[in-house]
Amino acid sequence: MGFTQPDKNSDDEEAKAVPIYGNWKNFTKENGLPGNKTYAVRVDGDRVLVGTHEGLAVYEDGKWTTYTTEDGLSHNGVIAIDVSELTGDVWLGTMGGLTRWSGGKFEVYDQLNSGMANDLVYSVVCDGKYVWVATGGGAGKLDTYTKEWEIFTEENAPMHEPWTYGVCAGNNKVWIAAWGGGVIEYNNKTMHFRDYVDPDGNMEIDLFPDDGVVHDITTGVSYSDGILWVGTYFGLSRYDGVHWKGYFDHDSGLASNFINFVRAVGDYAYLCTDKGLSITDGESWVTYKKNENDKNGKAIITKGETKTEKAFSPSISHNFVLGVDVKDDVIWVATSYGLSRGERIKQ
Amino acid sequence: MKTKKLYFILGFIVVIGLVIYFPGRKAAREHVNYMTAVEDHPLNCVSCHLHMIDKGPIAKWQNKDYYSPYNLVISNDGKTLYVVAQDADKLLVVDVESKEVKQHIQVGDFPHSIILSKDGKTAYVSNQWADNVMIVDLAKGQVTDTISTGNGPSGITLSSDETFLYAVNTFSSDLTVIDLNRKQEVKRLPAGFNPAGISLSPDGEKIYVSSRRGRMVPYGEPLVSEVTEFNSQKNRVSNILGIDEAYMMENISFTPGGDMALISLIRPKNLVPMVQVERGWMMNHGFAVIEQTGEQRIVQFLLDEPNSYYSDPYDILVSKDGKRAFVSSTGVNRISVINLDSIRYILQNYPEEELAFLSYDLSFSRHYIERRIPTGAAPKGMVLSADGSRLYVANQLDDNIGVIDLNTLESLDPIDLGGTQKVTVARKGRQLFVNAGGTFQNQYSCYTCHPDYHEDGLVYNMAGKDMGRNVTNVQSLREINHTAPFKWNGLNQSVYKQDGMRFSTVLTRTEAFSYPDLDALSSFILTGIKNPPNMMYNPKGELTAAQLRGKEIFERTVDNYGKEIPEKGRCVTCHPAPYYSNFSFEDVGTLSESDDTIKFDTPHLNNIFASAPYLHDGRAYTLEEIWTKYGGKDKHGVVNDMTKMQLNDLIAYLNSLGSAELEAKEQEVLKAGVK
Repeated sequence: MGFTQPDKNSDDEEAKAVPIYGNWKNFTKENGLPGNKTYAVRVDGDRVLVGTHEGLAVYEDGKWTTYTTEDGLSHNGVIAIDVSELTGDVWLGTMGGLTRWSGGKFEVYDQLNSGMANDLVYSVVCDGKYVWVATGGGAGKLDTYTKEWEIFTEENAPMHEPWTYGVCAGNNKVWIAAWGGGVIEYNNKTMHFRDYVDPDGNMEIDLFPDDGVVHDITTGVSYSDGILWVGTYFGLSRYDGVHWKGYFDHDSGLASNFINFVRAVGDYAYLCTDKGLSITDGESWVTYKKNENDKNGKAIITKGETKTEKAFSPSISHNFVLGVDVKDDVIWVATSYGLSRGERIKQ
Repeated sequence: MKTKKLYFILGFIVVIGLVIYFPGRKAAREHVNYMTAVEDHPLNCVSCHLHMIDKGPIAKWQNKDYYSPYNLVISNDGKTLYVVAQDADKLLVVDVESKEVKQHIQVGDFPHSIILSKDGKTAYVSNQWADNVMIVDLAKGQVTDTISTGNGPSGITLSSDETFLYAVNTFSSDLTVIDLNRKQEVKRLPAGFNPAGISLSPDGEKIYVSSRRGRMVPYGEPLVSEVTEFNSQKNRVSNILGIDEAYMMENISFTPGGDMALISLIRPKNLVPMVQVERGWMMNHGFAVIEQTGEQRIVQFLLDEPNSYYSDPYDILVSKDGKRAFVSSTGVNRISVINLDSIRYILQNYPEEELAFLSYDLSFSRHYIERRIPTGAAPKGMVLSADGSRLYVANQLDDNIGVIDLNTLESLDPIDLGGTQKVTVARKGRQLFVNAGGTFQNQYSCYTCHPDYHEDGLVYNMAGKDMGRNVTNVQSLREINHTAPFKWNGLNQSVYKQDGMRFSTVLTRTEAFSYPDLDALSSFILTGIKNPPNMMYNPKGELTAAQLRGKEIFERTVDNYGKEIPEKGRCVTCHPAPYYSNFSFEDVGTLSESDDTIKFDTPHLNNIFASAPYLHDGRAYTLEEIWTKYGGKDKHGVVNDMTKMQLNDLIAYLNSLGSAELEAKEQEVLKAGVK
């Protein structure tokens, strides 16, 4: 069973619509998580991997198990997760290095024992035999066969500075969200870089949102079905290989311009912001927000100029959203106060 | 007048002869005394000045080419043995009945293992020094395909449906998964450190891969080596089993019924000062059982018995009825016959705590060891005949195949592979090297700590009088000719001194090697041990862009700020090609409180990528750590001005360093400016 996103070519209106999730169940320290602050989530087969500030939490068969530095993790702050399609190994970006979790064993790569650029790993992605990381000291490419690292910074790539926030792969390319440097594209065939920066160069306002990436301070990238989605702290960009399109909270259903994380699956982009979670196909939007003073919340459905709302009780556990993953009809949302699980519901 | 003149000339010659002879003999005596560190080694110039020659026509003349059979399989009808002749790069086709070698099939560089397809028509051969597996059409006697693998393929096996071929990459510590339909590697999965053995469970569900080296841990922590379990349906790592206090798990076999997996192993006690050899405290040899039912316990058993050790177990094989296991012990030229029903009884009836205790009890092996069967020199891989009544074993250093009647458990006449019958001095030295006869109660051989004539990755307490001081990492013996002095502190000017009387006093605790044996051992060590080609980082002898940048850093004379680096702070000063050593001594700032205050012998760097851990006491697990953790004061080269990218380039260059022989050629080319 893979991800069963709605078929956009179907005549079924339900199938064409951006999915709405409800029946929310929240997990915190009180019901199994090692801590309330969750940074990342990834569904891996029948289990769910959650990066928290207190270690890696794994949800399987209705039970939580936590792994920490005592088990071999490089740092308890797990902020990025990817699972290698090739090997099934789990790669964990932490605040203190990169960890491979294979067959129950944790293997640490850090800036002292390997050629890794920096121990603060914001993002990790597996691309065949290579593992890419975005770190506070540059992007890195690990050849898992030879254990050799290549580091990419402003010295050898079109970056503004070494700080990188996100990395994704697809279509024989790798994209890096580089702080102040827009998006850096690495071509696996030519092994050359090119960059995509905000053409107007204006740090305060984007006068022409469709002329390129909306801002040079990028925070996340994700690629799916030929579309690259780019999150920034100033809005969202979508790139189809020819055209860019920009989205902001004032002209779309986006919850906030402050985007922490982007995950694209199928035709949809899942956008983790400081004011809730948004899902879009580039036209329609569903945004989830929790009420300020209670556990309830709503989904705001935006189609063109039309906005409708659907109330939930409970809602997602917090509006500061840091990670998301979906599989089949279930969504998992990592927030700064707990993890939420939602199920797709009929619209 | 003529007679007078003749007498005068003769007298002159005699006088000159005497003048030359006595001082010359005295000088020769002093020279030999210095080189051997004893005063009674025979004055035999040939010992050193002939048998230590490692290249050229004289070396070729005095040495012979051997087959050195390593692993073998048998045809489905039991009539043909296929023998991997490792030193000849050949697959030998042997007719069992006539005991004749019918065919030589050329395979790749340094073949290691062989398996057959179920129909017996195809053989798969792993070539450890060529990083590939060859597919051999046995009817045609030809290699039909060559498939690339990871670095140093050794053990191989097929999936139960023969869709996938698995090759254990010993040097790169992973497992290559080959899709036989596409005839290419489709993925590489992580395995333990330096893995070698592989076995598919009888139900085809899981694959075990045994590692030879333990996880790297700080000195003082007990050793743990890994068996990696793979799900053969998904081709993924499914579990990692830690085998406590063990290493050199060369091979692994399931019982036919699948109730147990058996692994050959060694239990080194490297945390105990080596002067405890006579108490049986240095090395034990045995096997582990991984139960496949119930609690799936891992239980260890000794092959050793009181006053007699069975060193360097290599292959482990289970009889077709599952009632016996056979272990070839390379160090003592024996096959131990294990009664597996006794093992099953022990596992069922002894509590876990007692089993743990008994795994150290030398007297316990009498309950399950049925017989010790003598073999030829250095028994390695084994195979059972089709009907299970014969056991064949590759006697590596006798160039023959031993035959054992399993009804009587007696050796029959071996099958000679038709190679040279002459045992050269170096060959004799190799036989001595792998044999534990020179150690107290056969506790270990040179090979035990220097597997593959290299090093075992462990740190030992070699202390003599000062217990707990001077712990040191085992050094490789590959290509050490021309790299004297030896030992971490360079106090041994020759291998003679290293392996002579001092060796028996401190290490082997038995009679020292006789001088002819010491001559032979030295000859082998100095002439017979090559570096494998550096297929991992420098397969074609052409440096990558990163390696070339690293070479510039290695040879740089100014730092990143334009300041001249003092000569002693330049890599190339102490590590010049082709051995990347100046054979001198230096303090690189890594002396610990438990070390004597000495300078370190500058190590050679050929194939340095294959010698982790690093520094004299193995404290650096990776090359990076030499400088990121232990290079703080710029005493081991000026490095603190470098960026991480530059350090990566430097390490990329270090990883590229290969055999000195190849390095020398490259240097000549570079000097000629025709690169």
